[in-house]
Amino acid sequence: MMLTRRLFVACAALLAVSSGVGPSLISPARAQSADPGASAFIQKLGNDAIGTFSNKSLPKEQALQQFRTLLHKGFDVPYIGRWVLGRYWNQATEAQQTEYQKLFEQLIVGTYAERFLEYSGETFKIAGSQPEGETDTMVTTQIVRPSGPPVNVNWRVRKKDADYKIIDVVVENVSMGVTQRQEFASVVQQNGGKIDGLIQALRQKVGKAG
Amino acid sequence: MKLASLSRSILRSAAVAAFALSVSACATKPGDTGAKDAAYEVNDPLEVPNRFVFAANEAIDTIALRPAAEVYTVVVPDPIRDVIHNFIDNLMAPLYIANNLLQGNFEGAQIATGRFLTNTILGAGGIADVATQAGIPNRPEDFGQTLAVWGVDNGPYLVLPLLGPSNLRDTVGYGVDTVADPVRVWGYATHHKGALTGRAAANAVDRRSHVLKEVDDLRRSSLDFYATVRSLHQQQRKAEVENKPVSGPEFPDFTSAPKQ
Repeated sequence: MMLTRRLFVACAALLAVSSGVGPSLISPARAQSADPGASAFIQKLGNDAIGTFSNKSLPKEQALQQFRTLLHKGFDVPYIGRWVLGRYWNQATEAQQTEYQKLFEQLIVGTYAERFLEYSGETFKIAGSQPEGETDTMVTTQIVRPSGPPVNVNWRVRKKDADYKIIDVVVENVSMGVTQRQEFASVVQQNGGKIDGLIQALRQKVGKAG
Repeated sequence: MKLASLSRSILRSAAVAAFALSVSACATKPGDTGAKDAAYEVNDPLEVPNRFVFAANEAIDTIALRPAAEVYTVVVPDPIRDVIHNFIDNLMAPLYIANNLLQGNFEGAQIATGRFLTNTILGAGGIADVATQAGIPNRPEDFGQTLAVWGVDNGPYLVLPLLGPSNLRDTVGYGVDTVADPVRVWGYATHHKGALTGRAAANAVDRRSHVLKEVDDLRRSSLDFYATVRSLHQQQRKAEVENKPVSGPEFPDFTSAPKQ
C-alpha cells in the first residue's frame, strides 16, 4: 500500500546481497565487447564474501573487520562517497571533505555489515556483462534467495590500473548511488544548503549505529 | 441503466483526467539546461504538503498496517498467502491487457492474455501462478504507464494519502484504472462493495507483508527516509515505464577531471 513491493525487494536485495557460488553464464554476444576481467572479479569477490560469511564461528569483531576488508577490496568507497555528494563536494572545505568521507565509510559499514553477518545461504550467478559508458563494465547477476523470487543486481565495475573496483550497484533498476545522492542532496537542502547539516546528520546516524 | 451510469462515471473521470493533465502540462517545465546535477533534481514543488502526508502515512503504517502485516505473516501460512496474492493479482490481468493494447504493445497484450488464461484455467481460478512457474513473468501495466507512452510527463511528485508515492500523471492513471477495474465494476453492479473493501485491505496487507524487513532496514539506515523513498519510487517507475533498464548516470573520472 504505502510502497510498492518491488521497490523494497530492490533494497532488500542490496542489503541482503550475500552472493554465492554458481555457474558462470556470460552471454557470448555481449561478452565480446565487455571486459571479461570484470565478471571474473565479481565472481571472485562474491565467492570470497560467501566463504567469509558462511563461517558463523567467527567472533563478531573479527567478522566486522573481514567485512571492511572485503568492502575496500571490492568497492571504490572514496569515489562513491565523492560521487554521492555531487555538486556539494566542490562547495565543501577540505576538512569537511575529509570528515564526510570518514563518516560515509562508517555509514556503509553500519548499514550493510549486519546483513552480511546474517548470511543465510543466498547464492548468485553471473548472467552477463556489457560495456557501460566509456570506461566501465556492467556485470549482471542474479541473487537467489532461500525464499522469495530471485533479485537482479547489476554491478558497475571500473578498471583502474590493474585493479577492478565497483563504483555503483543497481538493484532491480534502482541505483544505490543515485538514491544516496538524492537523499544527501535533500538533507543539505533541508539544512539551508549547508554541508555541515549533512555531516551532523551523518554523525548522529553513525553514532547511533555504533 | 447500469451501463449508462457506468459510462457517465467514465466520462466524468475522463474529464477530470483531461483537466489534471492540462494542469500538469502547465506545471512541468523543461529541465534546467546545462546544470549537471539536473539529472538528479527531483520535481517536488509540493514537498511541504507531501512530507506532511508522508508522515501521516508513516503513522498509519506504524499503528495499523505494519502490525497487521506482521500478524498476517505469523498467522497465515506461506501457501495460503501465496494463494491470496495470486488471486488478487490475477483479477488485475484484464487491466494489464487493456493497458498493453492502449500502449500499442501487442506482444505485451498477448503475454498478459496468455498469463490470465493460464492462471484462470490451469491455476484454478487464479489461486496458483502457473504462468510464472512456466517462465512467463508478470509485468503489470497501468494507465499511468500508458499515459507515459503517450508522451505525458510525470508532473510533480505526489504522496497520496494511504496510497503512498506517486506523481500527477500516475495519480490520474490510478483513477482511470480504478474506474475501469472489472472487479470494481462487478462489485458496484452487484452491490458487493464489501468485497471491494475486503480486497483493498487484503491487497494492502499482502503487499506490506512482503517487505517487512526491508522497510525496517531502510528506515533505520536512511538519513531522510522521505527523500530515499522518493528517489526509489522515481527510479523504479522510470524503469517500469520504459520496460527496460534505464541508462545509468554519468560517472566522471575525478582524478583527471578539472575542479569546477
